[in-house]
Amino acid sequence: MSHQTLLIAFPKGRLGDELVPKLAGTPLALDTEALKSRVLQIPTATPGVAVLLLKGADLPRYVAAGVASLGIVGSDTLDEMDMDLLELADLGFGACRLSLCAKAGVTLDALRAKPHLRLATKFPKATEAWLAKEDLTAELVPLSSSAELAPLLGLADAIVDLVQTGGTLKAHGLVETAILGRSSARLVAARGAYLSEPGRLRPLAELLIEAFRRTP
Amino acid sequence: MPVRTPHFPDLLFNAAGRLRRWEDSLMGLLETHGYRELHPSLVMRDPVPAVALRFFDGDDLVALRWDFTTALAGVLARRFPTPPPRISYAGAVFRRPAQPWEAVERFEVGCERIQTEGESADEADLELAKLLMAIPGLLGLKSAILHMGNAALVRRPLEAEGIFGELADAVVAALSRRAPHRVKEALDGHPSAARLAAHAEALLSELDGPGTLGALASSPYSDLLQDERLHMEKALQALLPILPPNLELRVDLADVAGLGFYTGPTLRLWAPGAQQELASGGRYDRLFPGLGRPWQAAGFCVRLSRLLDLAATRPDLFEALQ
Repeated sequence: MSHQTLLIAFPKGRLGDELVPKLAGTPLALDTEALKSRVLQIPTATPGVAVLLLKGADLPRYVAAGVASLGIVGSDTLDEMDMDLLELADLGFGACRLSLCAKAGVTLDALRAKPHLRLATKFPKATEAWLAKEDLTAELVPLSSSAELAPLLGLADAIVDLVQTGGTLKAHGLVETAILGRSSARLVAARGAYLSEPGRLRPLAELLIEAFRRTP
Repeated sequence: MPVRTPHFPDLLFNAAGRLRRWEDSLMGLLETHGYRELHPSLVMRDPVPAVALRFFDGDDLVALRWDFTTALAGVLARRFPTPPPRISYAGAVFRRPAQPWEAVERFEVGCERIQTEGESADEADLELAKLLMAIPGLLGLKSAILHMGNAALVRRPLEAEGIFGELADAVVAALSRRAPHRVKEALDGHPSAARLAAHAEALLSELDGPGTLGALASSPYSDLLQDERLHMEKALQALLPILPPNLELRVDLADVAGLGFYTGPTLRLWAPGAQQELASGGRYDRLFPGLGRPWQAAGFCVRLSRLLDLAATRPDLFEALQ
């Protein structure tokens, strides 16, 4: 890969699904043929600019290391990883809540009263911060996916997870008992690339911000 | 097979030769401008920070030298009734890095300009900027960018609003990320939230040449920051006519790195496309008063380890490397 190729990291999954259609018709529209294939580096409508499709949890690392100059990632992931990168804008889409969820009928007070509370989560840092603020202690059960199963199968008393519409929770008989925080998609940039070559990055960053501003 | 991280890099022939040549060139430049070398001990004592490489010497907790400025300040405050005006240093520091890929052992060359209370700082700041401007050419960098900032642009508004401690840290962290929306989040509910958010927007709105200073006019604190703006304008007027070819001068109003330490003008040297700054410095007038000496100081440090990495990974940024 040439140093001249500028890479932008996009997340796969929920955020990525929302993101790609918003860029259609813009200079950063993704090559549709390449998107249909299994390749993870996709050319855009602008020569010399390509998009990397990455798992959200890996994305900040690529940007912080300067491999990708720009990226789009959820603020929940950024807060968990605390990498050294720039966060140029809140793009406003992909909004969701980081919530404490338990089986229907289990209240927050009931969870507080447990002598040994077990919480399953992909977000240990945010969960620990909330526990400290609430003056609670708990055993954290680290999970990387399908956290909704944990309370149903007895792996944990409750989960801390992202909730967008609440549909998945409902399907598993879970309800939100507390909101720990809110998350949305953020435009991030590699510190070195942005500060040393702002003339190259700022127009692309503004283009991305504009693309999300003009579509609801 | 064990995985070894490059925290304690062994320099092989090319890199070792390059380090020696660069150290000699930089120390030579500083010497011709009247800077005299001090070489503080490799072992430092109290107070030892958590980022240092600590060990016990008998019953005493000590550490490998983690910072030249701190080490030199201790030596100067203890041993000199009046400060030597110009000091240079070269060698390694050992500090646990913020990012896992950075080395613990880092090679540096730097200088410090120390004055007694009441002396004009403007000339000293210009002297340091001119020295830093000569360094890219000396190291063989094809092009470089010098960022000028001023820590007071953030520090003074925060102090004027009575914001200190954790809240100030949160605002500074948000600015460091260049995230105005995070500044708003951090100040949510505070009486100065709207003013400081507007100030953050002004600081972050431009990152360009001298015209960037104009962005300060839209800040609610533009009157409070008149002196800083004048100081930066004067510095730009003095430096722009003597800017070497292939060096670009940019004004970075939102430079908050090291804000707990720096009190005034800051300087950072970048190469286009480099992931980390190659040299940095600024004015830190609170260091010596904290050690009981009424002296003011400024300085900069050239990060030779980062330059060695850059020479290995981006040789295209240098004239023919030896």
